[in-house]
Amino acid sequence: MTDFGGDSGGRLKGVTIVKPIVYGNIARSFGKKREEDGHTHQWKVYLKPYFNEDMSIYVKKVHFKLHESYANPNRIVVKPPYEITETGWGEFEVIIKIYFNDQSERPVTCYHILKLFQSPVVDGELTSSTTMDTKKGLVSESYEEIVFQEPTQILQHYLLLSEQSANGLLTHDTDFEEKKTKTLDNIVNVKQKVKAEIVTLKDKLKLARETISKFKAELAKVQKQPA
Amino acid sequence: MSADVRDILDMERANTPEVTRDSFLATKKRNFERTKTASRRPEGMHREVFALLYTDKKDAPPLLPTDTALGIGSGYKETKARLGMKKVRKWEWAPFSNPARNDSAVFHHWKRVTDNSTDYPFAKFNKQLEVPSYTMTEYNAHLRNNINNWSKVQTDHLFDLARRFDLRFIVMADRWNRQQHGAKTVEELKERYYEVVALLAKAKNQTSEKKVFVYDAEHERRRKEQLEKLFKRTTQQVEEENMLINEMKKIEARKKERERKTQDLQKLISQADQQNEHASNTPSTRKYEKKLHKKKVHQQPRPSRVDSVVNAIEIGSSGIKFADLRGSGVSLRSQKMKLPANIGQRKVKALEQAIQEFKVDPAPPPTEDICTSFNELRSDMVLLCELRTALSTCVYEMESLKHQYEAACPGKTLNIPPSLVPIKTEALDNSTN
Repeated sequence: MTDFGGDSGGRLKGVTIVKPIVYGNIARSFGKKREEDGHTHQWKVYLKPYFNEDMSIYVKKVHFKLHESYANPNRIVVKPPYEITETGWGEFEVIIKIYFNDQSERPVTCYHILKLFQSPVVDGELTSSTTMDTKKGLVSESYEEIVFQEPTQILQHYLLLSEQSANGLLTHDTDFEEKKTKTLDNIVNVKQKVKAEIVTLKDKLKLARETISKFKAELAKVQKQPA
Repeated sequence: MSADVRDILDMERANTPEVTRDSFLATKKRNFERTKTASRRPEGMHREVFALLYTDKKDAPPLLPTDTALGIGSGYKETKARLGMKKVRKWEWAPFSNPARNDSAVFHHWKRVTDNSTDYPFAKFNKQLEVPSYTMTEYNAHLRNNINNWSKVQTDHLFDLARRFDLRFIVMADRWNRQQHGAKTVEELKERYYEVVALLAKAKNQTSEKKVFVYDAEHERRRKEQLEKLFKRTTQQVEEENMLINEMKKIEARKKERERKTQDLQKLISQADQQNEHASNTPSTRKYEKKLHKKKVHQQPRPSRVDSVVNAIEIGSSGIKFADLRGSGVSLRSQKMKLPANIGQRKVKALEQAIQEFKVDPAPPPTEDICTSFNELRSDMVLLCELRTALSTCVYEMESLKHQYEAACPGKTLNIPPSLVPIKTEALDNSTN
């Protein structure tokens, strides 16, 4: 067999490029049920870059798949802003599929539960990924990172171009930087707790097993005697 | 039959009307309609069965399929070709003149007596080309200077040939007067001709009326040279080329094959990573456990089922092995946090409870650091849950041993170490959750 060495379809070995994005929805209630179709909210589902850059350089199109009860639920947006505005009465999962300007890369898919109603606050802030803004309405958005591992040369070129187009930070309704640090701190914290509990549990388990064998020995003694 | 013979011999022929195309078609149609009404398929009878019983003439069905459709009185069974029973029309040997010729020569051909048209129908195919002409002044004004040094005489000769042979350049090149005007190739002739035509058109402002052809002589020369080379290849060269093409195909195929294999290998490696963990632990431990088991059977009446769990935990095979997203391509970071498919429902449930218990965001923003530590955390949590269950099993076993002991010798009891007792309730709570 002939060896081709470094040939691997024109991909750049050892290169990883990360593009943070934010996706989610904002929703505002009409305040009443609309007569003609029973819709109660207007909402907008969106996908945007975390940093203020031109995503269309490397993104070919974004495919929003809405609930099937909508007329033509497959909405395709080819240039920013990647967003769909609609009205409705119910929450459902929106499938957001991102296609890239490179035939050899497969699209990636995000799943977003369209939020219209404030979920009841359980255990403080942890589960509430939604924020209520009197002006804007209900916001539910998630942070995500697109990881390009060993991109092709052309895609790398696009990604760098996009980075150069970056113009500072985009303001988001959710403070993700704060959320990131908080979450990481919390995880590290909990990890220590869990580790500590594991150590004590291991000790206890050891003791328990010793006790069991001791009990068994005692029991054997007692059971032997009458025999 | 006899009618035919009489007809051929031109004997007293029955005075049948001439069959015209219309009357022929009309009879046919009538026939067809009759057959249609005569044998209508009874309702409910299959078409195939009916076709066996009835054809249009109620004769036996064919043993072999025929090319023609059955129903409409056609096919090989037709007794007589229904050619028109027309009277013969007369032909005559007549002279004609061809308007395409200007020598007024008269030829003869056969034609119908009834055909009165006099003009020769093929004359229209004699297309006349319009070859432009130029005067002396025009020549001097526009055509005198040219790159390839064509003289007036040469150009005149070219246009004369063009008119005579209707721009058949191959013929023109053949008839070119080499003695007087020097040798010229087809390309040179074409180049000069179209150059002159274009210049004249420009000079006379005819550009809009007619399409001006641009002749790329250089391209044409190269094209012919190429064809020449292709034609003059030796057998060895042809074979070598075929061989090279085949080699290239093979190389492409191998390349694809190898890419497929590397992908498979990558999959295998990531699978093996997961299984290695198991493999390095399980086979040896299993043997070890088996040995232990045998010994225990001898030593102890009731081998502890806790042991296996505890063994696994001590060796560290529990926890979650997250998929390692190797390889190239685009992915979402959150994919790294996805639980592997091979962990059981019970583990998943326990993990969910632990995440709630410790108040951790079940879907944290997936940065690289968060992904890593979140995965480690969950792996630890699974271990924690297993330890808890193991401990509660142990406590349960201690309890039952204690009861056995108390039953065996009443009045006496065994003391469970106090540090293990409070756990009991908590562990039980956990298991009832």
